[in-house]
Amino acid sequence: MLDTYREVVTPEGVVLQLRAAGPVPRALAWLIDVAIRMGIMMVAGMVFGLLGKAGMGFYLIALFLVWWFYPVVFEALWKGRTPGKRALNLRVVSGNGGPLGWQAAFTRDLLRVVDMLPLLYATGLVSCLLDPWGRRLGDMVANTLVVHDAPPRGLVEATAATPIPLTVVLRQHEQAALIAFAERGPRQSPARRVELADLAEPLTGLRGEAGVHQLYGLANGLLGRNE
Amino acid sequence: MKQELFVQRYKQEWDAFERWLDVRGESAKEARSTRRQWHGLADTDVPARYRRLCQQLALARRRGYSPVLVERLQQLMQRGHTLLYRTPPPRWRRLVMFLLAGFPRLVREERFCMVVSAILLWLPLLAIFIATQYKPEISSALFDASTLHKFESMYDPHDTSHALGRGSETDLAMFGVYIWNNISIGFKTFASGLVAGVGAVIVLLTNGIMIGGVAGHLQAIGYGDPFWRFVAGHSSFELTAIVIAGGAGLRLGLNLMAPGQRRRVDALIDGGRRGALLCAGVFAMLVMAAFIEAFWSSIGWMPAWIKYSVSAVLWLSVGLWLWRGGRGDAFDETAGEGTPR
Repeated sequence: MLDTYREVVTPEGVVLQLRAAGPVPRALAWLIDVAIRMGIMMVAGMVFGLLGKAGMGFYLIALFLVWWFYPVVFEALWKGRTPGKRALNLRVVSGNGGPLGWQAAFTRDLLRVVDMLPLLYATGLVSCLLDPWGRRLGDMVANTLVVHDAPPRGLVEATAATPIPLTVVLRQHEQAALIAFAERGPRQSPARRVELADLAEPLTGLRGEAGVHQLYGLANGLLGRNE
Repeated sequence: MKQELFVQRYKQEWDAFERWLDVRGESAKEARSTRRQWHGLADTDVPARYRRLCQQLALARRRGYSPVLVERLQQLMQRGHTLLYRTPPPRWRRLVMFLLAGFPRLVREERFCMVVSAILLWLPLLAIFIATQYKPEISSALFDASTLHKFESMYDPHDTSHALGRGSETDLAMFGVYIWNNISIGFKTFASGLVAGVGAVIVLLTNGIMIGGVAGHLQAIGYGDPFWRFVAGHSSFELTAIVIAGGAGLRLGLNLMAPGQRRRVDALIDGGRRGALLCAGVFAMLVMAAFIEAFWSSIGWMPAWIKYSVSAVLWLSVGLWLWRGGRGDAFDETAGEGTPR
């Protein structure tokens, strides 16, 4: 429940990271979809109402299609997103991280019947909370999961500075820390920046702004940038 | 290798791949029509380029390059993965082949569940029907008086003011009712099988009891003729479809309870895949049934012998279709529809 990342190893041998979505955004997406479906059915009711008794038949067929096939069609044709999921940046993907096919979309939709039991998706919610990747029963049977689509917050390139070669050998995680500092520095307040740079005094031998610049330079050196 | 050098060396490749994804990755149809205007990365090189990208991503991760670079490669790789591993779009020909051959095969593969499901529907149906012939009061225990009265008025042989099997609704309106009502029941029968098969069993039993009760009551009070003329045709598709949906539900429940040597979730996935395919067939059968029920079964003036001969043909063809469909080499293209590949 705490680690909602699902790592899938692709056939090419690299790890694909899927950020599984929890019940709250999914419920919100569902609410949006319900509103849209009700809107469609109201319009259908008005249009078919004009047709009299035969309109009743068309209305029920429309109800059938919207009730059972609205999610299937959107998820299969629109890269795993219904309008509600789109609004919340969610996406349904197949368990191997690939896109979802018709069959899986249909299965997970059919099994809504069970997830809705006894009312308001209670079964689905329990299953969603128990499963490490927040899947409801329909997701498990269809081998799908709902993931966050939005990329994480924008990352910035490391601040440019005159590269300074390192005189000591740093371990890999220490190098990564230096580069991360250069990448995040510009978004931190100057005081915090200086405070962090002061921690590295044994390495730079400097304090204050000078230390910050020294660290930037070292990071650029590590990245292999030229002047 | 330093990160900057790595980026410098491969940046062009990544940019070319990204451009290809932007321009040609979105829609295959559009990509085909603009084939000649495109001068970037060739379509045939894309898989190789994707594998190279995967390797570069793995290198970048292993060497601990900065998150900016790894994230960019990861996103490119994900877009490529989504594109290369998408399910092929459905083809009409395959769909027809599935209905003709794949579906009957799948039903026969699950014959154990199908037989159990058929027994669960037909046993109570026949039992209640026969019982009401000897003890007509059973029907009033099953239904309340107003429901019974509604059924009686629907099949009253002396009342010719409306079509068979309904009040004053039109054919089209009833078609809508049958689509909404019957197909929803079919789908629910399958899905509720996930609750250890109990849901499917309950739906089958109650449907058997209800249908047996109505038929028995109408037969007992002498309204049998219009009733049988009404149901004989569409029941071929309708009852068989409910049995199949129930069988698919039982299979799912069985896979949950007794997964065998597979992981439970894998057994469920397999049951779900088969179930979805079976439900696609059930859907087609119930649309057919709704069509017959709304536009053929309800014709009141048709002489009984025509109705019954058509019904016999329908029952026979459903039986033949499920029994023989997809046998022989001609259908090998759809072989293994139900078995994991």
